[in-house]
Parts: sequence; C-alpha cells; structure tokens
Amino acid sequence: MKRSRPARIALNAAAAAFCAVWIFPVYWMVNSAFKPAGDMLTATPRFLPFPLTLGNFAGAVGKPHFPAYLANSLIVTGVVVAVAIAVAFLAAVALTRFTFPGRRGFLIGVLAVQMIPGPALLIPLFLSLKSLDLLDTLLGLIVTYTAFVLPLTIWVMRGFLHGVPKELEEAAMVDGAGQLTVMRTILLPLVTPGIIAASVFSFIVAWNDYLYAYVMMKDQSRYTLPVWLASFSTNLGTDYGGLIAGSTLFALPVVAFFMIIQRRLVAGMTAGAVKG
Amino acid sequence: MTVLTKARPARPRAAAPTGAAARRRRRATPYLLLAPGALVLLLVVGYPLVRLVLISFQDYGLRTLFTGTAEWTGLDNYAKVLGSDEIVPMLLRTAALCVAMAGGTLAIGTAVALLMRALGPRMRTAVTLVLITAWAVPNVAATMLWTWLFQPTYGVVNWMLTRLRVFGDFGQYDWTAHTWSSLVLVWLLVVWQSVPFVALTLYAGLTQIPADYYEAAALDGAGAWRRFRVVTVPFLRSILLLVTVLSVVWDFNVFNQIWLLTHGGPDGATSTLVVWSFTRAFASQSYGQGAAIAVLATGLLMALTWYYVRRLVRTGEEL
Amino acid sequence: MHRRMAVLAASVALACTATACGSGGDDDGKAAAGGIAGPGSGTGKTITVWYMDGDLSDAAVKAIGDRFTKDTGAQVKVQIQEWDGINTKITTALAQHDPPDVIELGNTAVPLFAAAGGLADITAHGKELSRGQTWLPGLAGPATIDGKLYGAPLFAGERAVVYNKKIWAKAGITAPPATLAEFTADLDKIGKSEKGADFSPFYMPGQYWFGGVQFVWDAGGQIAEKKDGKWAGALSSPQAQKGLADWKRFQNTYSTPASRNLFNLAPDYNAILAQGKTSAILNTSVNAVLKIDPKLKDDLGTFPFPGASGNQPVFLGGSDLAVPAKSANRALALAYLKAATDPQVQTSAIVGLDGWTPISTELIDRTAATRTPLLKAFSDAAKRSVATPASPGWATIESDKSLQSFFGDISTGKTPIDAAAKAFDAHLTQALNAAP
Repeated sequence: MKRSRPARIALNAAAAAFCAVWIFPVYWMVNSAFKPAGDMLTATPRFLPFPLTLGNFAGAVGKPHFPAYLANSLIVTGVVVAVAIAVAFLAAVALTRFTFPGRRGFLIGVLAVQMIPGPALLIPLFLSLKSLDLLDTLLGLIVTYTAFVLPLTIWVMRGFLHGVPKELEEAAMVDGAGQLTVMRTILLPLVTPGIIAASVFSFIVAWNDYLYAYVMMKDQSRYTLPVWLASFSTNLGTDYGGLIAGSTLFALPVVAFFMIIQRRLVAGMTAGAVKG
Repeated sequence: MTVLTKARPARPRAAAPTGAAARRRRRATPYLLLAPGALVLLLVVGYPLVRLVLISFQDYGLRTLFTGTAEWTGLDNYAKVLGSDEIVPMLLRTAALCVAMAGGTLAIGTAVALLMRALGPRMRTAVTLVLITAWAVPNVAATMLWTWLFQPTYGVVNWMLTRLRVFGDFGQYDWTAHTWSSLVLVWLLVVWQSVPFVALTLYAGLTQIPADYYEAAALDGAGAWRRFRVVTVPFLRSILLLVTVLSVVWDFNVFNQIWLLTHGGPDGATSTLVVWSFTRAFASQSYGQGAAIAVLATGLLMALTWYYVRRLVRTGEEL
Repeated sequence: MHRRMAVLAASVALACTATACGSGGDDDGKAAAGGIAGPGSGTGKTITVWYMDGDLSDAAVKAIGDRFTKDTGAQVKVQIQEWDGINTKITTALAQHDPPDVIELGNTAVPLFAAAGGLADITAHGKELSRGQTWLPGLAGPATIDGKLYGAPLFAGERAVVYNKKIWAKAGITAPPATLAEFTADLDKIGKSEKGADFSPFYMPGQYWFGGVQFVWDAGGQIAEKKDGKWAGALSSPQAQKGLADWKRFQNTYSTPASRNLFNLAPDYNAILAQGKTSAILNTSVNAVLKIDPKLKDDLGTFPFPGASGNQPVFLGGSDLAVPAKSANRALALAYLKAATDPQVQTSAIVGLDGWTPISTELIDRTAATRTPLLKAFSDAAKRSVATPASPGWATIESDKSLQSFFGDISTGKTPIDAAAKAFDAHLTQALNAAP
C-alpha cells in the first residue's frame, strides 16, 4: 500500500517520538553505567558519561561466582524456553485442531493459574518442591519456570494457530502428508511470529526471576544471575555503579536472544512456506 | 505411523471412521498432545494451588512451617480479611489502578503495533529494538531507574519538567509523597514495562493477515478505519482478547513495582490487594491470611474477567 | 535450665549430634543436653555457615574459621547470602530437615525465628560463650526471649555523625559539638554560610527511622513497653511525643524539604555528603562515602550524636550467630559460636580487620586505644545503645515498612504527631503480641 509523503513523515515522526520516550530510561541506565561514582547524582543531569569509566563493569563482572551463576542462568533459561515452546505447541495443536471433553476446562484452568497473585504461591510451591525432593536442584527451578510460562505460551500459540487457514492442512492431508509432517512443515512455520513472542516472554521470565531462584536453591553454587544483581545491595548501602552496570550486562542476552531467534525463525518460516 | 498417516484431520465434521482402533487413537491424540503440559502444570501449580486453599483455612504461621502441624480455623482468615476496614477502599483502588494500567498498556500497545505495520522496514526495526530493549531491563533495575529519574534534587524527569516552565519548579518535588503523583509514578513504570509484550504480540498477529485481504478491501473502496474494522479486528480478535485478559490479570496482580517504589504508601494510597496479601504473609508471617487474600483476589479476578474469558475460549471455535 | 552441661565430654556431644538432640524441639530442654565440641572432635567433618553479604570481610570470616578448625579439627563451608528477601530465605531454610549449621542473623530478626521454634536454645552455654563479659544489650537483648538465649553476638554497628570538616571550618567551627545546643548552633551557622536550594546542613531523610528513634529515646520515651507479658506501643507517652516533636523540628530545620518522605537509600545519602550537598549525615561508617570520593579521606570527621544530656542513645545494629534447631551438628555449631565470640578473634578480626564495634563493653574499652579517631565515635556511641523490642513481631514492623512511613508522615506533616503515634501504637500492640 502506498502512502502519501506527508502521511509517511507523520508516521515516522510518531515512531521516532515513541522510540525517544521508551528508550529514555534504558539510555539513562547505560549512560549512568559508564559514569564514575561521583557523577552518578548531579543536580544538572549529565547526558553524556564523560569522563567515562569502565570500572563499574569491571567490578560487576569481577564479583565472586559470576561465571557459575551465568552458566546456571543459561542452562535454566535455555531448557525452559525449549521445553515450554515444544510443550505449548503440542498443547495448542490439541486445543485448536481437536474437540474433546475437558478442552474448555483446561483452557480456563490454565488461565486461572495466571490469576493467582505471584507472592502467594511462594510458600505452597516451596512445600511442594520439598515433597517432590526437587529443592536445591536446577531441575526444580526449570520445572517451576516452565509451569509459570506455560499458561501464556499455550494461549499465545493457540491464538496464532487459529489464524492458520485450515485449508492449508487439509490440502497437505489430501496430498498424503501425515499428522506429524503437517504439524512440523505447515503449522510450525506459520505460528513462527507467535513462537517469537512466546519464547522471548519465557526467556525473560526465567532469566529475571530472583525470588524463586534464591529461596529454592540452598547451595550457593546453584544460584542464578539475578542473585548476582542482588549482591550489589548490602546493609551498608547499594553499590549503584555496580548495580547499574550489572543490569546493563544482564539485559544484553535478552536482546541478543531476540535478534537470533528472530533471524533464525524468520529464515525457517520462509523455508517452511516453500516446502508447504 | 501407518495408521496416523491414514488418519484424516481429526475434526468431528471431517471425520470418517475407518475402524475402531483408528477412532480410539484419534480420541487419544489430543490428550497425548496435552499430557506433557498438563503434567507440569498439575505438579508445579496444581498441587501448590490446593495447598494454598488449604492454608487459607488454617492458622498457618512461621511455627507451622517449622513444625509442620497447623490448626484448622475454618473461615477465620476470610472473616478477618472481609471484616477489615481496609477492604472496600482496597478493592476500589485495586480495580481502578488495574483498569488504568491495562487500558493504558492496551491503547499504547495497539497503536504501536499498527504503527509498526505502517512503517518502512528500517524504522520498524528501530521500534522493535526499542521495545525489546525496554522489555529486557530487569525489574530491579527498572524500579531503581524509576526512583532515579523521578527523585527530588537529582531526578532527570524533575529537571526536564522544571525546564518546561509549565508546571513550575519540580526540582525538589517528591513523587512518592503525594497520592496522585505516586499513582502516576507506578502507572508510568507498569505501562512502560508492559507495552513491549502487547505491542510485539499484536504486531506478530498483524503479520499473519494476508496482504490481499487489505487489497481486496481497498478495491472495495474501504477507508483506513473500515479496513481496520473489517479486516484487522476480526483477524486479530483472538489475540487481542488474549492480551486484554492477560493485561488485566497482570495489572491486577502488580506487586514488585508498587512495593519497591512506594511500599504501598503514602498512607496506603498505592496499596492494592496483592500488596496486602504480601504484607500479611511475609511481613506478618500470617501465611493463612495472606493465602485467604490471594484466594479472594483470584476469585474476584475470575469473576471480573469471566465474560472475556468465555469469549476468549469460544474464539476460533466457530471455525 | 541451670544444668551446666558444657563440661560433658566430646564423645557425648558426638553421640548427641547423631541422635535426638539435632532433631529440633528445643522447648523441652533436651537441647541443653549437648555440649560444645572439643579439640579434635570434628576431624573429617564440615559445617555450613551462612553469612550476610557485606557484613564481615573474607579475612575476618577466615580468621573465625581458622580458630574454629584449630579448636575442633572440623572444616567450615561458608555461604554468603543476599539481603533481598533474606527473611523468606531463612524461613524456608529453617523449615527443611537439613538447614545450615550456623546462620548470621540481623540482631532484630532473631526474636522472630527464635519464638517460632526455628533456632536452638543455647542458654546452657551462655556463660561459656560470653566468658564472663557483658554483652552489649542491643545484641544480647533481642537474642534473649523469655529468659532463654537463642544467639551469640557477632559484631555491632551503630550510628554516629559523619561530617565534612572543610564545610564546618568554612563556617568557623573547628571542634565537634559536645551538647545538642552547640550542635544545632553549629548547624545554624553552616546553614547561613552555605547557599544552594539543595544544600542542607544535616541531611536526615524523613523516613530514616534509625535517626527518629534516637530522638524518642533521648526524650525518655520508648517504642513499646512490656507489661505483664504483653507488649503495648508507647509512642503516645508524653516523653515519646516530645521526642517525635524534636525529631520533626530537627528534620524540618536542617534537612532539605525534598527529603521529608525519603529513606536514606534513594538518593544515596553517602553521595549527598560526598558531593558537598550536605555537611553531615548519620551513618554507621565512613567507608561508603570514601568509596564514592576517596579524596575526602582527610576531610571527614565523626562524633556521637549529642543528646539532651550526653550522647543520644543509639539504635544498635549488628548481627548475632544462631544455630538452627534442626542442625545436625549442634556441638560443632556451638564451637563455631565460641570461636566467633573469642576475645582474641573479636579484637583481631572484628575490630582489627573490619573496624566494627566488638560485642562486649569490656572489649570496647580494651580496644579503644587501637581504634582510629574516625572509628572511635562509633564505639563511644555504642555505649548508650537501646535494643528494639525483643518480640517476634518486631520483624513485622521492619518488613512492612510501617516504621519508615510513620516517621515519614510525621516529617512531612501529613499526619499530626499525636494521631500518627496513636495509630502506630495500635499497630505496634497488634504486631508485637501476635504469635509467630
């Protein structure tokens, strides 16, 4: 659809204004991360971090246990995203391509899980993991986060599967393709945008959680990266420079993950469409 | 595999039974597909959920947690919660804040998603990156940034507002000290954090709409608004409903942002049901009362969103 | 509970740890049957100790561990815990069957876990641990519930005035004030000599309750009082009301209007002092300021906050070491407590390495000579320390932030003092008498 020049300018201006407002806090975070401690608070704001220091970053990365926590975080988050997406996709296929007793109940039940206030579940969940003997294990954490993100991922995938015209599958079926083949080559590529949104969501939930990681793990060696972020605040005060630099580093993998998955999945989607 | 390949799409209207075994298998398929998800949910959320409800009928404190023996108190916890003077203003405040936050998030999120579709590829990538970057900022950093941006004497936002020369001198203004400004503070943070998910999900939905639908509508002489109503909304209904329900649910249960920014103050002005549940459970170690508040909050939320949940469950079924 | 079992042989202690004593239930006195592990009894064993992030230096922790290993032959596995969510973390840890063997608890958090049955009763070992010294009441008080001891003090930290000598000298003041009148006169002078809308002679954020309670105590008031086994909020008493009024006047006069509803963390009051936006703050050490601007090293001075007569009583911060009731290594855990309270370890590690205030008045006197002038003000202030109510409900008051809001509301004038005190007394009475 072609648009007139003034309309294009107006759209771009609106987009630019939105970007400026939304990025500002992030910009301020990065800006502060490069400032020496004395420049962190100034009555007249400093919009550029000069004189610049890398000390905040060096201090943050140099904290004890940083590599171990990073490794744990990567394992937990990676497994959660992969498992959640696979499990949710299967469930969403069942929910959109079949009618069976208990379907509505399942859908509503899953949504109800989202409605429980987060802090309220902590103690009951702790008791459950204790009974299951899953405390102090990365597996326990993985299962917990997977359960947290499943309701949303199932629902989002379901929403996107609805958008897939049935004729596509039926045509493939007529061509003699099996159900698994249909799922893999037709449905999966077509819900790609939904997978991107759902996996970024899952990634962020698993990557950011502090409280469950802190409470469910007992041995220090099994903590995840948010515990590292918490370590900048002690009773003596908060190391704001370290915390803000740490937060900047902490956010990077999320952005990187998004860019990678975007590229990979978009490539996969085109390939799938050709095959289908 | 051989049976599966023979099986036709397992929808009742298309089903043509080819034998008892195949029928059985077809009946089992959806449950098999659902099993992994259901198992994880039952194990990790279902069981604790039952415990949560049980705890809400018990005098469950720290001692209980250490010894494992709890006393049943019937509806005591509920009576205490419902009999509290705080309950009515708390409910109203929670609902109003939730509507304001979810409404703001959805309005901005939808606008941004539509904007993204209309933009050229370069500008669209920029908006996507901005969204994802804002989304990526961890909660602890986001709340800290907010206190920095809005703090008296040193806050950049206060500084900029002062420079605008419209609102007067904001240099020494403390946002957390006044009812309305602390609500605005919380609202801004929550909306800032929630828009990325809504915008990106809706935009993803928009990309699924085949371009020829729009072209056909345009050929019929439909204007932009009509194209939005006739093509976009019906196609997006399922996802739009979903993000609406999710936004309402999340914003009803917003906790971290409120607690870290204002602790529910000043004078309870930003205290919501969840904040209350938290202070009962974790500050007063009365897990029973905390659980009762949580159960009530969940029930209330279910009742409030019931209409949309029903519609949401039904969407797509007419296909 | 007068049985002196500490002399029991190590073999008994070992037998005990392997059987009944380690399995909780400290109310029946069974717990006292264990002894403190003796030399060589712990060879081949390892106990787990939890410390809080940022409290003790690695070197100090190692010094205590070395002493413990020398005493018992056992090893120590140290785990550092973060502050955010710590009460929940400790709660869940104590609810498991294999908790850590020793945990460091903020002194005001001890009553909560003790009263709920999470900590071992160590009354029988009190004398052996204190070695006849007088533990600071601010540390030992909260660890003592109904006459029973649930923790041994580790270190104390208290608040004194940290000020910028240069700014004070510019206003013509060269010596620290001795009385409150001198102090406020000095601050008045500084207020006149320094300009700037965001400058305050004394930056005292309105929600900074550590400062607020000092005024209440100085006027002879109390936060709460225990009568006939029941707590009652006492902030409505005439003395407390006077203290609150003094606080409000001091806060409103010498701190910025913007600070009336703030806590000390945002903006960071150390940064405000480091940047010359104030001439003084009330803090537990000078280190945080020096970390922001090391150049201030020779410009900073300290003195105890002057009160109506002598120094203002201070809130004593610090930590106790406690043994979880379900620890499987109680005898060794007690030996660890013994190593940490050892006068030599206290002198060399707690005072010498970390500059904290030691745990007894005797040790404060004995180490006074070794402390630099910058550090001396803190231990001087410690001598007039007051403990917060030794009730499990005190943790509620701290974690629901109501105490912070109470002082904030008084400073801003949002609530009149008498109404605020009355409402808060009701909250105190309810929370402090609640069963854990």
